[in-house]
Amino acid sequence: MIFNSEFSGQQQHTTQPIVTGGSVIALAYKGGVVVGADTLCSYGSMADFKNVEKIAQVSKNTIYVSSGEFSDFQQVVRELAKIDRSALQYDDGVHPSPRDYGNYLARLSYKRRCKINPLYLQNVIAGFHNGERYLGLVDIYGTYLESNFVTTGFASYFCKAIISNYWNENCTLDQAKQVIRECFKVLFCRDCRAHDVIQLAYVDEQGTHIEQPERVETKWDFSGFKNRANEKLHTQ
Amino acid sequence: MQYLDNYLESKGGYDYTNVKRNELMKAQGFKEMPFTKTGTTIVGVLFDGGVVMAADTRATAGSIVADKNCEKLHTLAPNIWAAGAGTAADLHHQCAHFNAKLKLQRLNLNRQSRVNEVITKLTSKLFPYRGHIGVALIIGGIDCNGPQLASVSPHGNYVYHPFQSMGSGSLAALGILEAKFQDGLTKQQAIDLAIEAIEAGIFHDMGSGSNVDVVAITKDGVDYKRNIRQYNAKSYQRQVPYDFPINNTPALKKYQFDIEKQELSEVGQEMVIIE
Repeated sequence: MIFNSEFSGQQQHTTQPIVTGGSVIALAYKGGVVVGADTLCSYGSMADFKNVEKIAQVSKNTIYVSSGEFSDFQQVVRELAKIDRSALQYDDGVHPSPRDYGNYLARLSYKRRCKINPLYLQNVIAGFHNGERYLGLVDIYGTYLESNFVTTGFASYFCKAIISNYWNENCTLDQAKQVIRECFKVLFCRDCRAHDVIQLAYVDEQGTHIEQPERVETKWDFSGFKNRANEKLHTQ
Repeated sequence: MQYLDNYLESKGGYDYTNVKRNELMKAQGFKEMPFTKTGTTIVGVLFDGGVVMAADTRATAGSIVADKNCEKLHTLAPNIWAAGAGTAADLHHQCAHFNAKLKLQRLNLNRQSRVNEVITKLTSKLFPYRGHIGVALIIGGIDCNGPQLASVSPHGNYVYHPFQSMGSGSLAALGILEAKFQDGLTKQQAIDLAIEAIEAGIFHDMGSGSNVDVVAITKDGVDYKRNIRQYNAKSYQRQVPYDFPINNTPALKKYQFDIEKQELSEVGQEMVIIE
C-alpha cells in the first residue's frame, strides 16, 4: 500500500514498510491464550534479522505482538508501556486490563489512519484478566476485533483451515501449541518471508510466560519432490 | 499449401505484426479485457497406485454465484482427468478440444494416451497465447509410466508435484495439504485428504463453495463421485408436478355452453364432481 505524500519534505507520511515482521497466530485454550510469532525481521526480501524476540509483555497479564513495520511495533510497545507506568504512579492497585490496551491501540491506529499516516501494523493483543481470556486483533486501519483465534498476514490465508479443523476453544495448552507449530510449518513451506524459528508465549491465571525460541521441523524431501522422473519424461 | 508452410517457416517463431497497432490502441485508452478468475478450489493428491483429484462446484460471475453445482472435473482420456480453475468458457472448450484431439490420436495409433503427452500438447497451445487463455489445470492420470499428477498454469508452465492446488481457494487448500500430506498414502487416505482440502477452500474462500466432487484414478479404473459431500443440501424438495387431489376445490355452480346455439345456461347449484 502506498500513500502519496502531499507535503514532500515538511510532513512525512508512511509510504511503505521497510523492515517487516512475519505472520502472527494466536489461539485461546482452556485457561488462557497462547500466541506464536516467528523470529525474523525481513528487510524487503532479505532475511536480515533472524533472532528477534518479538513478543512483548506490556503488563503483568498482557502480551502484544504484531506483523508489519517493525519500527512502528517498537514505538507502540513504548506507548503501551507508558500506560502501565502511569497506572503504577497512581498506586491504587488499579491496572489496565488487556481489553483496555486493545481499545487504546485501536483508537491510536484509527487516528493515524485518519491522518493518512498509518501505523503499518496488524496487531495482536492477548491477555487473561479476572478469570477471562482476551484476544484482540487491531489492523492497519484501526479495525478492532475480539475473537477466540486470530491470524495476521499470510497465516490468514494458509492457516485458518488448519485452525478450524484441529483446534477448539477448550483444548489444552499443549494441543493449542501443537496447532500453532503446525501452522508455522506450513507457513515456512509456502510463505517467502517466513522463518522456521518461532517463539510461543501464553498468558493464564498465573501470569505471562514467554518461552525461548524453538525451531519447527519441516519436511522437504517427499519422494514426489525429490524424484522428478515424471518431468524427465518430457525431455527424453 | 506448401507455400504457406514455407512462408511461416521463413517468418520465424513469434509474430510481431500487431505490436504497433496494440500500442497505439493502448495510447488511445483501449483497455484490455480483464482476465476473470472464476473462484475455485481444486486439488490433486498422488498416492501409491494412483491419483485423486477433487474440486468444489461453485462458478462465480464477479460476486454472484452463477452456477451452484457445476462440474469442474473434466475427462481428457479414459485414464486422464483434468480439474480446471480459471475462465469457465476457456476451460470447457479447451478440455473438449483436447479430449477430441486425444481420442483421434488414440484411434490413429491404437495406444493409450499418456499424461506427459497431454501436458506437452496443452502447454504448446497455451504458451503462444501468453496467458490470455485463462485455464489453470491440474492434470492427473495413470498410464504406462505410472500415476502422474501435474499442474499447468495459464502461461504454459507445468510442474509435477505429489500434491497440487489451484484456484482462488488454493491457499486454504494448500495449508491443509502441506500439513497433512505423507508419502505412501492409501487410496482412501488420499480421498479423505483431498476432500478436507476442498472443504478448507469452500469454508475459507469466498470464491469457492457448494459441494465437493472427487475422482480417483487407478489401474483398475476411474471412480468418479459427483457431490460426494454436500454442506447445504436442501432438506425438503417440493413435489413437482403438484398433484391436485380430486374434490380439492368445491364447485359452487356448473354452467353449460352450447356452441351451436351460442347460449350459456346454468345447469345446477349443488356440489358437483368435476372429472
